[in-house]
Amino acid sequence: MYAIECRNLTHYYGRKLVYENLSFNVEEGKILGLLGKNGTGKSTTINILNGFLQPYSGECLIYGENSQLLSPETKKRIGFLIEGHVQYSFMNIHQIERFYSGFYPDWNNAPYWELMSKLKVTPKQKISTMSCGQRSQVALGLILAQNPDLLILDDFSMGLDPGYRRLFIDYMREYAKAEHKTVFVTSHIIQDMERLIDDVMIMDYNKILAQQPVEQFMNTFRQFNITLESPGQEVLLDGIAVNIEKVKDKLEFYTYSTEQEVKAYLSAKGVGYTSFEEKKMSLEDAFIGLTRKY
Amino acid sequence: MFKSIAYKEWIKIRLVVWVALGLGLMALINIFLKVRHDILFVDAANYWYSFLFRGFTYFGILKFFPFVAGLAIAIAQYFPETVNKRIKLTFHLPVSENGVLISMHLFGALVLIGVLLTILGLFTAGSAIFFPGEIIRASLLTMMPWFLGGLATYFLVALILLEPMWIFRGLYTAVAAGFITIFLASAPIGSFRPVLLPLGLITLLLAGVVLFSGYRFRKGEM
Repeated sequence: MYAIECRNLTHYYGRKLVYENLSFNVEEGKILGLLGKNGTGKSTTINILNGFLQPYSGECLIYGENSQLLSPETKKRIGFLIEGHVQYSFMNIHQIERFYSGFYPDWNNAPYWELMSKLKVTPKQKISTMSCGQRSQVALGLILAQNPDLLILDDFSMGLDPGYRRLFIDYMREYAKAEHKTVFVTSHIIQDMERLIDDVMIMDYNKILAQQPVEQFMNTFRQFNITLESPGQEVLLDGIAVNIEKVKDKLEFYTYSTEQEVKAYLSAKGVGYTSFEEKKMSLEDAFIGLTRKY
Repeated sequence: MFKSIAYKEWIKIRLVVWVALGLGLMALINIFLKVRHDILFVDAANYWYSFLFRGFTYFGILKFFPFVAGLAIAIAQYFPETVNKRIKLTFHLPVSENGVLISMHLFGALVLIGVLLTILGLFTAGSAIFFPGEIIRASLLTMMPWFLGGLATYFLVALILLEPMWIFRGLYTAVAAGFITIFLASAPIGSFRPVLLPLGLITLLLAGVVLFSGYRFRKGEM
C-alpha cells in the first residue's frame, strides 16, 4: 500500500523543463529521502504534493486522492514542515499550540510540551525571536502533536547546526518507526541522512539517478581510487563508469560494478595504473559521486 | 474551526485595531472640541445655517479614517501570510482552502466594520448634543461613501497582498487606487445619496475577489 503515488509528472517553469515523466511511490511506513542539488526539483515536487503547484502534466495521489484536490480528512493525515521551519512567527509557543489544537480532534500536546520544555524560551517569547534551531523544535513539536500518518518535511536541515540536526533526525526516526509513520523528506544536506531514511531517491536535473533502499544503494554503488601510470591518460565516461573525477594522476571511479569488472574494464581500455583501492563511502560521498561535484 | 482562525487573525490585527480606535477617538474629540468652540463664539443658528445651506462640514477630519483603518487592518492581517509564503500553512489546515480564506476575510471585515461602527456611533452620539436630527442624518449620508471606501480598501488590499505575481500586484494597485478615489471624491453634503446603493453593491462584490488571489497562489503562479 502506498501513501504517495506520483505518475508521469512533467513540469516546466516557463520554457525551462524541471522534469519529465517522473514517477515514484512511497510505501506506507517507510522513510523516503529525496536528495538533489539546488534547482533539481525537490521543492517543486513538495509543492505539487501539497497542492501548491499544478504540474504541467501527470498527477500525485496521497492516500488515493489527487494532491490538487485533497479533502480536509486527508489533510488531517498529513503533517507538513515548510522549508526553513516556517511557522506563524507572530505567535508564542502557547498561542500556536492553542491555534492548531482547534483543527485536530486527536491533538496530543504531550510530545509538543516535552520538546518545548527543553527550549530555553520564555512563555511569551514570540517564535520570530527564536533561533533557527528553536524554531525547528517548535515546528517538529507541532507535527508530533498533530500525530499525522504522513509527514512531508521540506529541507528540514536548512539553517540547523549539527546538534539540532542530529536531535531532529533521531527524534523523527524513533517516532516514525515506533508509530509506523510514513515520511517524505527532502534535503540538500546529506550528512546524517543515513541515520534517518529507509529509501533514497536522488534527483539530477530533469531525471532520477537512483531510487532504491538506501542500504542496497550503499552496497551496490562503489568508489574506486586509482592512481594512473600516466597523468595524461584519458579515461572516458562510458560503459560501466557512472562518474569519473580526475585530478592529475588520481582518478575517482564511481560505478555499480564490482572490483573485478572495473579492472577488466580498465584493462580493455588500455588504462594502466599503479594503485587501485575501493573506498568506503558515506551517503554524502555516494551522492556527490553520483551527481558530480559541479 | 472559525474560532481558531479568528484567534490567529486577532493576534495579528489587535494592535492595529486598538491604534485605529484610539486615533478615531482622538479625531472625534478634536471634532467636538472644535464644534463646542465654534458654537460658543458663533451663534448656534448661524453655525447650523452654514451646514444646511452653505455646504460646510464639521467632520472632514474623519474622511480618511476608514481608508487608513481598512488599509492598516488588511496589511496587518495579510502581510504576515505572504512572508516566507506562510499562507501555505493556512491552506494546509484541514479545511477547504476557500473556506479558510473566507473565514479569515469575514473576521477581518467584521472587525473593521466594528471599528467603523464604533466611531460612527460615537460621532452620532456626540453630534446629537450639538445638532438637530436633520444635520446628523445629512452628515451620516455624507460620510457613508468614506466608510464604504474603507471596506473596499480592505478587500482590495487583501487581493493585492495575496496575489503571487508582482506584475499583477501593480495592476491591481493601479485599479484599486482609481476605484477608491471615487469613494473619497469631494462633494457637497448629501450629494452621494443617489449612488450609495450601487457603491454598496460594488463593495459587497469586492468582498469575494480575495478568493481569486488564493486560487492563483494554489495553482503555483509565480
